[in-house]
Amino acid sequence: MSRLAHTVAVRATGVDMFFGTPENRVVALKQAGFEARRGELIMLVGPSGCGKTTLLSVIAGTLTPQAGAVEVFGQRLDGLGQEALTAFRRRNLGFVFQSFNLIPTLTVAENVMVPLLIQGRPFDEAHARALAILDQVGLKGREEGRPNALSGGQQQRVAIARALVHEPPLLICDEPTSALDKDTGAQIMQMVRDLSRSPERCVVVVTHDHRIFRFADRIAEMEDGRISRVVDDPKLLDTTHL
Amino acid sequence: MYRLALNMLFGDRAKLAMLLCGLAFSALLMAQQSSVFFGIMSWTYTPMVNIRAQVWVSDPMVEQVNDAKPLRDTDLGRVRSVDGVAWAAPLHTSFVQARMQDGNFKLITLVGIDADTFAGAPAVLSQGRIEDLRLPDTVIVDEWGAALMGRMGVGPDGKPRNTPLQVGDTFEINDIQARIVGICRVKRAFTGGPFVYTTYDRAKGYTLGARRTLSFMLVEPQKGVAPAELCDRIERDTGLKAWTSDTVIWSWGERSLARNTFWWFWTNTGIPFSFGTAVLLGLFVGIAISGQTFYSFVLENLRYFAAIKAMGAGMGVIARMLIVQAFTAGLIGFGLGAGMAQAIGRVMIEKGMPPFVMYPQILWATFALVLGISLVSAVIGIIKVSRVDAASVFRG
Repeated sequence: MSRLAHTVAVRATGVDMFFGTPENRVVALKQAGFEARRGELIMLVGPSGCGKTTLLSVIAGTLTPQAGAVEVFGQRLDGLGQEALTAFRRRNLGFVFQSFNLIPTLTVAENVMVPLLIQGRPFDEAHARALAILDQVGLKGREEGRPNALSGGQQQRVAIARALVHEPPLLICDEPTSALDKDTGAQIMQMVRDLSRSPERCVVVVTHDHRIFRFADRIAEMEDGRISRVVDDPKLLDTTHL
Repeated sequence: MYRLALNMLFGDRAKLAMLLCGLAFSALLMAQQSSVFFGIMSWTYTPMVNIRAQVWVSDPMVEQVNDAKPLRDTDLGRVRSVDGVAWAAPLHTSFVQARMQDGNFKLITLVGIDADTFAGAPAVLSQGRIEDLRLPDTVIVDEWGAALMGRMGVGPDGKPRNTPLQVGDTFEINDIQARIVGICRVKRAFTGGPFVYTTYDRAKGYTLGARRTLSFMLVEPQKGVAPAELCDRIERDTGLKAWTSDTVIWSWGERSLARNTFWWFWTNTGIPFSFGTAVLLGLFVGIAISGQTFYSFVLENLRYFAAIKAMGAGMGVIARMLIVQAFTAGLIGFGLGAGMAQAIGRVMIEKGMPPFVMYPQILWATFALVLGISLVSAVIGIIKVSRVDAASVFRG
């Protein structure tokens, strides 16, 4: 494999994705192409309904496109079966969701342990690693509390800890700041940037929150189901429609 | 993941309480109603338990122990002559009216036993001596009957005395005096009347007008002769019907009079249907409440299950999580329900009403049914979760 191939973390080419019946078809992605590199934090931005979340789902292997090729760390996802895709996600992906998706009946530490337990790690080992990463996100002392007892920002920090606890090479963040105020959102993005920064890791953030664009290395703008342009400087983007 | 699955279950206390209520109520209903059913059915062959003999001989047309068809006294000699018979004793059973001191009548089960051998006599006497039955006009009454008939007793002041009958008290059977010389402890019967024991000859006197009074013959096989084998010989040589007296429901043989009595009541009365309906109701209530509650638990956690799926948990792991949750709730629910059924059973046994027999098999069957309910609940949840798209977690 060439050095270039190693630097590419995610590559999607000619991806078509539509929903509904043939008579009532909604096109979400139309010949979409996308590339993300190792060591970078790339944002996918665009107006509502432009296909950001669908593209993110395709990259995450939770949706299989009708056409096109998706490659993550050299592994073609479009040909994989459900079991292989599940195993791929288990090993390689960390998720930060818009609505946190922390299980309210579990403790903070137990929530963070979930990816490790899914991987089949022993409970005690998972617990120790969860405590360590919760310390990193500044939640030491809150490990045995319930997520609902935390503020929105703290809950998102728990979600970040959960996304990174198993050290995945690809971190997928879906609108991570949409439920947070400006300052908290900025803190969270700073934390994502600080904790996930690694030459081997790629972070893909879907957002329409232009206040956090400054945390991106590159920004890919989407329009009508495809990437319309990729910029290095957020100032180059017209954010009025976001 | 199973530990987390349990923490998820126990973390939602309101749902868990509802789930356990449904399962416990279901287990209670199934175990308690089944136990009362078997208790009532055990009353149908009570004479087999109270009147102990290895072989019973009856008229060929007899179908069950409460349906005695009188035999000729000479049949006793015929049975005694069968090879393998150690001894044979006459037994009279009939339902007669007893007139109490206050003038009221009470239906009793009159049992006439052989005065020489006392074959068929009650095993336990709490008052008096069995030998005193040889005195004129004497009877032995069972404890429950003594208490029941005592309510109809009259004290020296002429007022109702409301205390159990004692040795020395009297009442009348067909205008003939019956003087109590003993109080015995026997199992109550389906027919509800008190057991009144007397001698076979005196029973003839109490049942005036009856041409034949020999209801059954109690037979003891000679050493080395199996009861079932002796039954064959008696039937072959006399044309009468012979029965074994095994009363253990799970091991009784085809010749058992208790077994035939049980099945006679099973097929000729509405008892199994009534109790079967109650047990089915328990099952359906369990499925409805537990299934619905577990389904709502799954629905409430659906987006978390979707997130777990997105994070890389296969459907097998999630299915096992749901099964662990449902079965844990099932185990606790069964424990609570069976415990309550036992507690209610203790009260019933102390009060003597209604009859209550909780065989271990009932508990095992209830356990299996509760786990079945849990499995149905888990399957409903698994189907729901399996239809959830992992990508749905990205839809806000």
